[in-house]
Amino acid sequence: MTMSVTRELPADAPVVGPDVTLTSLSHEVSNRVLMERAPRWWWVGFGLSFPLFILFVIQLAWLFNYGIGVWGVRIPVAWGFAIAEYVWWIALASGGTIVSALFFLTRSPWRSATNRIAESMLLSAVPCAGMMPIMHLGRPGFFYWLFPYSSVMGVWPQVRSPLWWDFICLICYILMSIFYYYAGILPDLATVRDLAQTRFKKIFYGVLALGWHGSTRQWQNQRITYAIMSAIMAPMVVSVHSVVGLDYAGGLTVGWHSTQFPPYFFFGAVISGTAVIVMLTILVRWGYSLQNVLTEYHLNALAKVVLTGSVMLGFAYVWEAFGPIYGSDVAARTEFLQRMFGFTAPTFWSEKILNVVIPQLLWIPFVRRNQPLLFLICLGIIVGMWQERYTFTISGLANNYIPSYWGVFYPTVWDWAALAGTIGLFLTMFFLFLRFAPIVSIAEVREIIEEEKSK
Amino acid sequence: MTDLYGVLGVFDTPERATSAAAHLQQSGYSNFEAYTPYPVDELNRIVHPGPKPFLPILMFVAAILGAGWGYWIQYWDEVVNYPINVGGRPHNSWPAFMVGTFEFMLLVTVAIGFFGMLAVSRLPKLYHPIFEAKSFARATRDRFIICIKATDPNFDLASVHDVFEGLGAERIEEVRA
Repeated sequence: MTMSVTRELPADAPVVGPDVTLTSLSHEVSNRVLMERAPRWWWVGFGLSFPLFILFVIQLAWLFNYGIGVWGVRIPVAWGFAIAEYVWWIALASGGTIVSALFFLTRSPWRSATNRIAESMLLSAVPCAGMMPIMHLGRPGFFYWLFPYSSVMGVWPQVRSPLWWDFICLICYILMSIFYYYAGILPDLATVRDLAQTRFKKIFYGVLALGWHGSTRQWQNQRITYAIMSAIMAPMVVSVHSVVGLDYAGGLTVGWHSTQFPPYFFFGAVISGTAVIVMLTILVRWGYSLQNVLTEYHLNALAKVVLTGSVMLGFAYVWEAFGPIYGSDVAARTEFLQRMFGFTAPTFWSEKILNVVIPQLLWIPFVRRNQPLLFLICLGIIVGMWQERYTFTISGLANNYIPSYWGVFYPTVWDWAALAGTIGLFLTMFFLFLRFAPIVSIAEVREIIEEEKSK
Repeated sequence: MTDLYGVLGVFDTPERATSAAAHLQQSGYSNFEAYTPYPVDELNRIVHPGPKPFLPILMFVAAILGAGWGYWIQYWDEVVNYPINVGGRPHNSWPAFMVGTFEFMLLVTVAIGFFGMLAVSRLPKLYHPIFEAKSFARATRDRFIICIKATDPNFDLASVHDVFEGLGAERIEEVRA
């Protein structure tokens, strides 16, 4: 197909390929789950991820045994990689819910094939996020003290603290994401059950499908509940990531104590979450040969969301500079100048380039359709977002009110092991989702097929 | 006759199934159910007409209870059981309790919604007579099935077969109870 570099996809471009039918769709997606042997690329991917997961376990054991002194965190920079990466992971997860829930409410047709990838991604990212603060605790065995329950100790958590809000948000978010995922996947599990050949798989997916038979009554109940859940998940995810922002804003540290943090964080979630979904969509599309189901239309739409996120983030970056420079607080201004030109200068400037400057290429329709280019831009965004989280976490602490109290942060090998290990945890979980659960929402794409027919 | 659950007809398009259901309703059948691979709105409206306010109301009530529960936990903690004076702030500092209240509200709503949906859909229930039908498996893929139950007052084995044939069913099958 020859298309000019500047021409946009036509408005009525097919969402799914013309040769996708109800029959072929069910078989294609279910067969990826039911096939006897996983394809070679799956083993290669899983084989690379699993050692990283082992690394995760090793660094966890090392850390819990020797304490967080194995990391580079020292006074004054007491929040290091773990907290920055907590924010980074929870942003990726939140982005998955935004794509899944928000665009269900807008009835965007491209959401139907990509929402399962988004939700599998978020369920894989949330444990990585959840582990980070626990690893950072110092006495990780006591993390359950944050639960508000009437314990025999007679002590309660301090519920006025943003750190407690954050804990509650994360716990609720994990549980709600599981409910949301399961309510959506139930009909697809029934499809897999009815296509299963071996006895073990029939029982396995039969139990998971809970006896779903797709009567009109069940569909009505499922659709009503799912719609309300979506309407709840969308504001929920805004609250989760805003409260993560309040962790910082609630502190009196220079550079953190700012009301701009909640939206600043949320914009970051939009762009970084969508960027991971784009990368995973490109890989799943190629690996599972689903070019007919995950079409150019999807990538084009997701790329636009990334671009929107990038513009919003650019707006947040302007405010990040405007606040300290316009304000009268000398410490805040000094901190910001140090952030720009001091120890964190390299990551500060590269984050701006990777998150805001380079994604502007997505204005060109050709770039949105060019998968290698799109993949690289999104990879750059993920790296850039990591740098952003790192930069503002470090620089606020490194350049606090009293210059004699200034310091720097040098990560150790165990800091990097924590990063690599959680990436391993994420990829291992995602590869398992890819292998054992339908990666495209079959029931919802069926509706898209019917709509395409009547076009 | 007691061991018969019903008779099902298989249709290949949602339009055929919808018009068949409309026809069945007009001919006086009241106890039939449709099984489809995705929700077909018109068909749903014919088989189960009228508004379905139960789940939304259930979730709304759950939201109120969840919010009350969330606020109560924090109130109990900060005011009743373990009051700590933090810089002279009031013990019942409600603005600071709002995040927890909000999150508890949403969690309870979604959880009750999820389990409520399963309960009114009679799930989990791993066995259903319709699973015994040979043609049923395709209802979760690409076929639209209507099953007239034997409990329907108008049910008559021979005439049901004729009706389905007249409506253009691909296959007709008896479902054992």
